[in-house]
Amino acid sequence: MSDITPKQRVLRLFAGERTDRPPCFSGMGNVTTEGLKKFGYKFAALHSNAKMMSDAAASTYKLFGFECGVVPFDLCVEAEALGCEINVYAHLEDILYPTIKKKLIHTEDEMDIRIPSDLAVRGRIPLIKETIGLIKADIGNEVAVGTYVLGPFTLAGQIMELNDLLKLSFKKPDKIGKLLDMLAAAIIIVAKEYEKAGADYITVREMGATSDVLSPRVFKNLILPYLKKIFAELKTNTVLHICGKTNDIAVSMVESGARAISVDQKNDVAETRKKIGNDSLLFGNYDPYNVLVSGTPEKVRETIRKCMDDGVSAVWPGCDIWPTVPPENINAMMDEVKKYRR
Amino acid sequence: MVTEEKRQEILEKLKNAVIQYDEDTSKEASKEALEVGLEPNDAIFSGLVSGMEEVGRLFEAQEYFVPELLMCADALYAGLDILKPHVKQLDLGVKGSVVIGTVEGDVHDIGKNIVKMMFDVAGFTVYDLGRDVPLDKFVEEQMKTDSDLVCLSAMMTTTMVGMKKVIEDLKAKNPNVKIMIGGAPVSQDIAEKWGADGYAKDANNALKDAINMISSLKKLKEEAEAKKGS
Repeated sequence: MSDITPKQRVLRLFAGERTDRPPCFSGMGNVTTEGLKKFGYKFAALHSNAKMMSDAAASTYKLFGFECGVVPFDLCVEAEALGCEINVYAHLEDILYPTIKKKLIHTEDEMDIRIPSDLAVRGRIPLIKETIGLIKADIGNEVAVGTYVLGPFTLAGQIMELNDLLKLSFKKPDKIGKLLDMLAAAIIIVAKEYEKAGADYITVREMGATSDVLSPRVFKNLILPYLKKIFAELKTNTVLHICGKTNDIAVSMVESGARAISVDQKNDVAETRKKIGNDSLLFGNYDPYNVLVSGTPEKVRETIRKCMDDGVSAVWPGCDIWPTVPPENINAMMDEVKKYRR
Repeated sequence: MVTEEKRQEILEKLKNAVIQYDEDTSKEASKEALEVGLEPNDAIFSGLVSGMEEVGRLFEAQEYFVPELLMCADALYAGLDILKPHVKQLDLGVKGSVVIGTVEGDVHDIGKNIVKMMFDVAGFTVYDLGRDVPLDKFVEEQMKTDSDLVCLSAMMTTTMVGMKKVIEDLKAKNPNVKIMIGGAPVSQDIAEKWGADGYAKDANNALKDAINMISSLKKLKEEAEAKKGS
């Protein structure tokens, strides 16, 4: 049965064909400290070096058979290209993900921004494109190569104060809508560059719009229209990822036009599967920290089996995989998926 | 002395102002409370905080979400800023000072700010370190201020692990300090494993925990007073 490559399995899944078993992959970061050790790389150094980023991203497949290669590892690429300053925490030995140090919009009056005409060549966008090329050359025949962009609302939360964004979403939705429209256009530009670089699939990460934060009504009225705009423009395989509470917005997520939706451990997948039907692709939904990193191999197996029994189309984490994942846990996960038959 | 009827009327106004995130009414009712001689503590706890408790309930029922919560907090602060200078002494029977912040690598501070608000309300001295706070800074600030409580917040799995180190360092330097951790990825299990004294999994739970903490402090105070009286 496994005479097909992991790449073929993923692409067949996206194409709506039957597969022997769910693939076990991700659209988000999955670098491991084991992989970093192999190359002697420091996490903070990866973000600005295409070769290192590609090596690190490919290592999770090479070491554990995890069925993809995904870059980048941080969530700041678009915000940086739009003009924010980022912090990669180069001074620390511990693993910390880059954050935005300086925002673009500080007050409501500064919201009228423009997309730079040279956005496609700003910040690290050319670097990410180069990295996609490198990782494709390295493992692209065997596994699907993925990348991600932020969703418009989450990106808005990067370039302006989250406090203001949330309150204005309520008080002045028109103003926020205008900003989201502009950011959707920027995201389309970036995602198209990644398509050109050859990404097999692109995940749009819109975790800021989780029902832990925003009401399903606001999601539907204020955010969904711009997600639709993005997915309508993209030609490659697409995934919409939202973490946290998502049961009440799962149907809207499918309506966004994304080829697949991705949810985390807070989603009741069996219920979601019933709501969205069997034809929609649903990726999820194991806890990448409390299960994969700090659980026992048996707990990992149990969780992964439940994901598949509940009806996920692909076994896929709820967020970035935390790098210190113990090898025995990731091995247990791969083994559990590989022996599963529908 | 203010009549019970008037007192109820003002308290109701304060409470509703918070629930309906109406900053103007919150200010207005707070001024009125002072004018008619209502005890500022009473106005804060039976008015503003009582409104916030209802907001917590609405949040839990998923009628309110984070934007509403933030606006309600603004309304609470609008009243609190007027009332607080008139509180003679907020003696809760326990010395309260707290160091609070979001750990390094995390720039999300909404949950932290909600918890901070409740400490402000309770009359705690709050040392707010802000967000993206280097881990050593928590230990340093606790030592410097000799605070009873340290609250650590992390919104992302990817930053939560930093809290483990802070807890270890704090407990090593001062075994008596109480540590509360909070944020979306945090669980009771993690809190126990890492040796934290309390945890709150989201803004609402943080709010409830903080309210519970304040209620138990108030109870302690009442008991102390009852003892004094007998």
